[in-house]
Amino acid sequence: MSMQALNQLVARSIIDPGVVQAFRAGRIGEVLDELGFTTDLRAQLSGIESDSWAEFAVISYRYVKSAEAQAPRLQFPSPVEGLLATQAQADQEQVA
Amino acid sequence: MIQITREERHWFLEIAARALIDHIGAAEPPVPVEEILDHPPDVYQEDFGVVDMYSNLWDATFARPPGQRGSIFVRVDLPAKERRLALARETLSAMITSKHGRDLGLPDLLMSELKDSAEYFASFLLAPYAFVQAFRAQGGSEELFGELFQLPAAVAEARW
Repeated sequence: MSMQALNQLVARSIIDPGVVQAFRAGRIGEVLDELGFTTDLRAQLSGIESDSWAEFAVISYRYVKSAEAQAPRLQFPSPVEGLLATQAQADQEQVA
Repeated sequence: MIQITREERHWFLEIAARALIDHIGAAEPPVPVEEILDHPPDVYQEDFGVVDMYSNLWDATFARPPGQRGSIFVRVDLPAKERRLALARETLSAMITSKHGRDLGLPDLLMSELKDSAEYFASFLLAPYAFVQAFRAQGGSEELFGELFQLPAAVAEARW
């Protein structure tokens, strides 16, 4: 999700001078708020110090890529566990 | 400028190509390169000219005569697919040297690897990832790929 947001931001900057103007004015946080960054990433990206927009984009890419690599994947219970739980519950009901 | 990897540079170029495709609203191949140049985003109005030239020296080159609009000077007798590739490649030079490109910091990011950058940018402008994936998902063949996307054989082979 955050990489998608970063891609949108960079694509927009290529054709919309408003993005680099906001960046130069120290208002990039306002632009980031319009996109789907996580709270942590939004804070990290807002704090980047860089000489140019392009440099900001590349450093942002590193942050987002690193965050997505560390993000826990969704953990679904194994189908086997699900069956065992049901079986255990059925056994208990039968005993009762 | 910080040191950047090839992968990071390629990521940026792919997004830059996608921005132009989204701007023109292309939803299927072939990407209308000449239309992008004819109707550029406002920030590149003074940079995306095209001038047909007779030349045996090069297929296309970007130049910005003093006080004039920047233009891609392209050989008039190029085959259609080669012309598309040459225009797509030189579009990056137009962007890098434009006022907006300089405001973005594109020269520092891309000038040192301009040839590789221009070729990579052109290949993704002509055959964006999403279009290639959709073509594959619909069972498109390698033989049809180059024709549908209007790519020179070498680019078609590289992007397939």
